[in-house]
Amino acid sequence: MKKIWAVAKNTFKETVRDKLLYALLGFAVLVIAGSLLAGSVSLGQDQRVIEDFSLTAMLVFLLIITLFIGTQLVRREVERKTIYLSLTKPISRDQFYLGKFVGLCLTSAVSAVVMGTIFLIVLYLKTKSFEWVALWAIGALILEIWLLTAVSLLFSSFAAPIASAIYTFGLVLVGHSSLTIWSIAQKSGGFLKGTLEAVYYVFPNLEKFNLRNEVVYHLHPNPTQTVAIILYFVGYTVAVLLLGMSVFRRHEF
Amino acid sequence: MSFEWGESFKDLWPRFAPLLLLAALALAYFGQLRYDTWRFFDTPTVQDSFNNFIEPEPLKSPTAKAASLGATNFLSDIYWLELIQYYGGGDPYGTYRQLPALYQTITDLSPKFLAAYQSGLLVLPQEKFTDQAIALGEKGQQNLPKSWEIPYYEGLVYHVDKKDYLSAARQFQIAAAKPGAPAITKYFAGLYYKEAGSRQTAYVIFQTVYQTTTDPFVKDRAQKQIGHLGGLFALQDAVSAFQQKLHRNPKSFDELIAAKIIPALPVSPLGLKYTYDAVTGAVSDTK
Repeated sequence: MKKIWAVAKNTFKETVRDKLLYALLGFAVLVIAGSLLAGSVSLGQDQRVIEDFSLTAMLVFLLIITLFIGTQLVRREVERKTIYLSLTKPISRDQFYLGKFVGLCLTSAVSAVVMGTIFLIVLYLKTKSFEWVALWAIGALILEIWLLTAVSLLFSSFAAPIASAIYTFGLVLVGHSSLTIWSIAQKSGGFLKGTLEAVYYVFPNLEKFNLRNEVVYHLHPNPTQTVAIILYFVGYTVAVLLLGMSVFRRHEF
Repeated sequence: MSFEWGESFKDLWPRFAPLLLLAALALAYFGQLRYDTWRFFDTPTVQDSFNNFIEPEPLKSPTAKAASLGATNFLSDIYWLELIQYYGGGDPYGTYRQLPALYQTITDLSPKFLAAYQSGLLVLPQEKFTDQAIALGEKGQQNLPKSWEIPYYEGLVYHVDKKDYLSAARQFQIAAAKPGAPAITKYFAGLYYKEAGSRQTAYVIFQTVYQTTTDPFVKDRAQKQIGHLGGLFALQDAVSAFQQKLHRNPKSFDELIAAKIIPALPVSPLGLKYTYDAVTGAVSDTK
């Protein structure tokens, strides 16, 4: 555990030194603050617009951070040959892989907290109220990003950074279209129906983590829904991590 | 001795740079001059509203839902902002023909968006989309069953635009039974079966909308409706006063001003025109 934590700390330090992270965070904060402007021309729907725009901006920027920083980490270690230094130490490949995952999760969690704090401050300044449901939505968003971090690490353990970013983005598109895929499957028949249902069940259902639409209506998720989201996250992420570790174990550097 | 292109260009460049700069500035100046001439002095050849080019083309709801990738409220907000810009920009075809489609997509993407139903029920009938307004109201009642506002506003559409007082009364009864409905809603439900056609009823209904809503858009529309009805009633009263005084119908509104019954013709805040039928003495409004 200590070894995983040591790699995680190093990964976190490495990512927070990346200028790209600050550029993305700065831009995200600008967009969130900019939602005030959009809210001001919405004829009384300020709160709604600020919440919807900010939460969507958070998803987009966290996704970009995961895609561009997450997919490059392992490859960069290989290119700079620093991976040999790590792997010659008494640390297994699995521990190294898990450390990378935990470090990346830390980075995305800190980024989400920064963006979330700015969002809640902007919301409070505008409405003089605190939106508790938004915390649930941000929590679910972090889980979604952690799952995608596991997916991007899996891809980056065997593919080039650009390719793994494209694969992960493809999965995001499929994952957020799960409801559309399901409804098309129900209207089709035969082979197409089977294929679409398989896509629905095999690919990550990212709409499970989408509580952003509920925030505007102050709808708290019920406990069963919350447990289902957490179970799904744990199950899927562990499966993807195990798959990624087995690929990484066999990888020749 | 060979001619070196790179070398000679490097030598000549400092001499030509100021000339090039002057040429570029002159070009920009003449461009600006030409633009100003066109902008301020030319007769526009095409009498088009800018809105012709920005008329929204909302996606059909299933496509919009699929394209939103789960961010349905976000996309709904984008269309909401587009609707505000569109409705405030003038109607290029004599009617805001994309309004029903916009309201449809907005409320399909965000089925619990109360302000969209409220504003749609006020705006759509004004633009002669009465049936679409009623359909929007029915959809709103399904998606927000606890809201008293939607049946109340729908009752208003039945009263003012459809002149279907029985349906209006039914809607007011539905609204009165909802939690949080103002006491006056119950009063309307009772009143409607008695004197539904009374002009004062519509006036009071709009006043209630104005007093109860917190939405600035809805408040603004209700205020304009109140102002518009006020002008209409003032003209109707003036025609009656003229008839009583001179025992005939006035020939036009100007005669009312000449007879010093009204100081000036009222202006409708909705931008509608008050019209008068000299034969029947009826005052109405038209776009």
